Amino acid sequence: MSNVTLEKVSRSFGDFVAVDSVDLRVEEGEFVTLLGPSGCGKTTTLRMVAGLEQNTGGRISIGNEVVSDAASKFVVPSERRRLGMVFQSYAIWPHMTVFENVAYPLRVRRRPNAEVQDLVMRALRLVEMERFAERPAPALSGGQQQRVAIARALVFEPKVLLLDEPLSNLDAKLRLQMGDEFRSIQKRLGMTSLYVTHDQSEAMALSDRVVVMDRGRIQQIGAPEEIYRRPVNRTVAAFFGTPNLLDASVESCRRIAGGRIQLDVAGQGWRGPCDAAAELTPGQSVTVMVRPEDARIAGPDAVRGEHELQWTGRIAHTIFRGPTRSVFVDTEGGRINVDAPAFGNYAIGDNVNVLVPQSAAWAVIGHKEAA
Amino acid sequence: MSISAELPPRPVPRPSLFAGLGAFGRALGATSAGRFIAIALLIAVLAFLSVYPLSMLLYGSLHSTPPGVAGEFNLDGYADVFTWQSFVTLANTVGISLAKTIPSLMLAILLAWILARTDTPMRGTLEVLVTLPFFIPPILTAMAWGMLGNPQVGLINQVYQWITGSTAPLINVYSYGGVVWHMMQYSVPFLFLLIVDAFRAMDPGLEEAARMCGASRWRTFRTVTLQLMMPALTGAAILSFVRGIENFESPLFFGSPAGIRVITTDIYDSINQRSPPQYQYATAISFVILVLLLLVVLAQWRMLKGRSFTTVTGKGYSPAVMKLGKWRWFTFALCMLFFVVTVVLPVGQLLIGSFFQFFGFYQWDMLTLDHYRAVFSSGEFWRGFRNTMLLGLVGATLTMLLGGIVAYVSVRTRWRGRMLIDGMAWLPWMMPGIVLGVGFLWGFALLPHAIPIYGTLWALLLAYISLGTPLSVRVMTSAYAQLSYDLEECSRVHGANWLQTMWRIMIALAWPAFAVGWVLLFFGIMRELSASVLLYSVGSEVLSVVLMKLWANGNAEQVSVIGMIMMVMVLVIRWIQLRLIKTRIGAL
Ligand SMILES: Nc1ncnc2c1ncn2[C@@H]1O[C@H](COP(=O)(O)OP(=O)(O)O)[C@@H](O)[C@H]1O
Ligand SMILES: [Mg+2]
Repeated sequence: MSNVTLEKVSRSFGDFVAVDSVDLRVEEGEFVTLLGPSGCGKTTTLRMVAGLEQNTGGRISIGNEVVSDAASKFVVPSERRRLGMVFQSYAIWPHMTVFENVAYPLRVRRRPNAEVQDLVMRALRLVEMERFAERPAPALSGGQQQRVAIARALVFEPKVLLLDEPLSNLDAKLRLQMGDEFRSIQKRLGMTSLYVTHDQSEAMALSDRVVVMDRGRIQQIGAPEEIYRRPVNRTVAAFFGTPNLLDASVESCRRIAGGRIQLDVAGQGWRGPCDAAAELTPGQSVTVMVRPEDARIAGPDAVRGEHELQWTGRIAHTIFRGPTRSVFVDTEGGRINVDAPAFGNYAIGDNVNVLVPQSAAWAVIGHKEAA
Repeated sequence: MSISAELPPRPVPRPSLFAGLGAFGRALGATSAGRFIAIALLIAVLAFLSVYPLSMLLYGSLHSTPPGVAGEFNLDGYADVFTWQSFVTLANTVGISLAKTIPSLMLAILLAWILARTDTPMRGTLEVLVTLPFFIPPILTAMAWGMLGNPQVGLINQVYQWITGSTAPLINVYSYGGVVWHMMQYSVPFLFLLIVDAFRAMDPGLEEAARMCGASRWRTFRTVTLQLMMPALTGAAILSFVRGIENFESPLFFGSPAGIRVITTDIYDSINQRSPPQYQYATAISFVILVLLLLVVLAQWRMLKGRSFTTVTGKGYSPAVMKLGKWRWFTFALCMLFFVVTVVLPVGQLLIGSFFQFFGFYQWDMLTLDHYRAVFSSGEFWRGFRNTMLLGLVGATLTMLLGGIVAYVSVRTRWRGRMLIDGMAWLPWMMPGIVLGVGFLWGFALLPHAIPIYGTLWALLLAYISLGTPLSVRVMTSAYAQLSYDLEECSRVHGANWLQTMWRIMIALAWPAFAVGWVLLFFGIMRELSASVLLYSVGSEVLSVVLMKLWANGNAEQVSVIGMIMMVMVLVIRWIQLRLIKTRIGAL
């Protein structure tokens, strides 16, 4: 039993509410990521689970056992919550060797020496650091320190692992590699993990579920694909990638096969159907999200297919990005960014059409001003 | 695109002043001949301030007669040093310094932890209060404690006897305990100032990680916090130990009357209390103390080599402080108690003492302002006051300028000879004031008559500059180390000459450090006793010497008055310092 449950958990610093009534349940063995811009309250949430920060409202339970309840002022101190934690700064103790760092949790628990030796080496092997056991901790690179921090968090087989931006201090390449490695360890050990990051691609690549936070509140919880495809509001939509967000208003709304909701919307110089999360009434303002990778450029005379949306405009400028080329097209409805083939023939000033399959267009309520 | 349009505005040239000085500066800084002259000049000045008195000590220890008297070279001085008597003195010195360093360190750790890592109320104010004793001239608290803890008429004993009806005294400051106690009042805030930033700057994640691993608070403190602090603590403790060996006031006031001798008072006595003065013995034992200190410094150097942990992170938040609950009032009270005992009690004694007719008799009808009148109409007081102020202002300024130049040469240039310069400037760091005083005493006496330094204010000024240079170099070095080279190069690229560059860097950017160092030096000069007492003569007494003389004559009442006046000066300067340069106080 190692789930983590947060019920209406809040934390305020004076008048400022850093975490506002967060409800979340992390199931056993699940990998859940808290994602959001810097300062949105992710770390504070994680630290409340760890017991390093006191929640000013709500209740936190680990494995069905309440560890902190603001109403009854009940708190289990950090050291008795049996959680493993990896800090953003790694917090590797510089006065100890790698071995002693990893052995610390076992020594605290007064395990016999032989067992300590055994478990530490096992944990170090897991993160491929057994060769460095006798190194003094300051003589490690960032990536190695990170591995040691993970080994230290795993060595006493905690119920739950908490990680606060563990990859943010690594360079881009190492970040990808360490992330994948960590995910495979986590799957192998079946460890419940709560992971904090502000990096959307990291969150999507690693998580079973992503929790998007903004200004202390949960915006959306869901599988990475779902959050990417079907954001519930403009904030979440704008947070992932660089989508085109086009203002429009609803003309009609209907339910179609599979319980999906389809709208007919009209914007400045374009109209057509798109999908939405909830039923809306005609005349309501919406923002239609179109991802650059779903759009394609067609010649000025192109005619849209049956299930496509179409914008007409001219190319404003292009940026070569390696695998693709970003083409920016000025249309009546606004500028649209399209991921086009890198070596296509696009000249600034060309008249073109932008075509998007209607299944890739997603409407959320509200306009730009309202967000 | 025009490049010149991108340049920041040139520094406004000030032709009249800078043209002349600038040419001079360029000549000094940029040409190799000028550079040679500059280095030679600097080496000469520093040599006179540190190497000269040191070699005069050596000369004196090998020469049978006092300065200026014909004599012969022999080893009698060292023969006197290697006696049972001197061994006891040496053991006393080391023992007392150890005895005060260890409890002081523990108390300082406790205070640093309370004020840096807990939620004790009013920590900012408390920090100012517990560090205040460090800034009070030791001679004042020594005299105040002499009055408070006098076994016959001390206020504490009077109160104790009045309450309990006992006739035995509660405390006697004229004892080992008294010496240690008085030293501790300075060691605790000194150590606190040295270690508190290490406590403050530590990444709280390192402690939190231990908690997450299952360690209790106490275990975390023991195995993580304290271990991480160890290099800083060791360094501070050794420094405190060295200062304990160098200490003069505490053993002079509380040790000597009880027959407890340490090296510094031994040097003083053999020159001032014996007839004829034992110069050769004094210089020989001065050398012994120097060797002792050198060994300590070398030991420290070896011990701390490569043992400093970078635990500071760039995290924005002040480290999470520990919530103490109800206990935070206890920690608050503890800090207040320290302040009361080390500041309120002695200062209160001086205040009371200054208003009563006779020291030790506190009755309402004995209240008087006579002592204030006497002091304010005393020529000797005003002369001491003038001398102290003059020496403080001029001495602190010159020392900071010298330190600024030495630090500049050693961190900012690649000049050959800069290591030598740095080394010579550091040399007095190891020299107790009394030893430097003896060295200069010989040195000035041996100068040709055309250079009349001996027995003048110049003698004191030079000694103060020498004593203060290591501090000023340290302060300015750390200031320069924080300034980026770009600033300087940028300034020069844009056409400022060497002197203008120096000027801008010194004044515009390094001035906070300059001011911090200046105030510390001013404090240092105001409190200096051990060198002054050897180098003054009639007409060049400073306040601390005036106090000593009054004390020796048994005039505790006027001592109290002058003590109060100095105390007010200390408070005013300290207040200004905290106001103006709040954040830089850790630069000590
Ligand atoms: N100890 C504190 N005192 C005051 N405000 C704090 C403290 N810790 C965090 N905050 C505030 O709470 C908000 C959330 O912080 P944090 O949880 O660290 O954000 P994140 O980890 O998402 O970047 C921030 O706006 C920050 O200013
Ligand atoms: Mg954070």
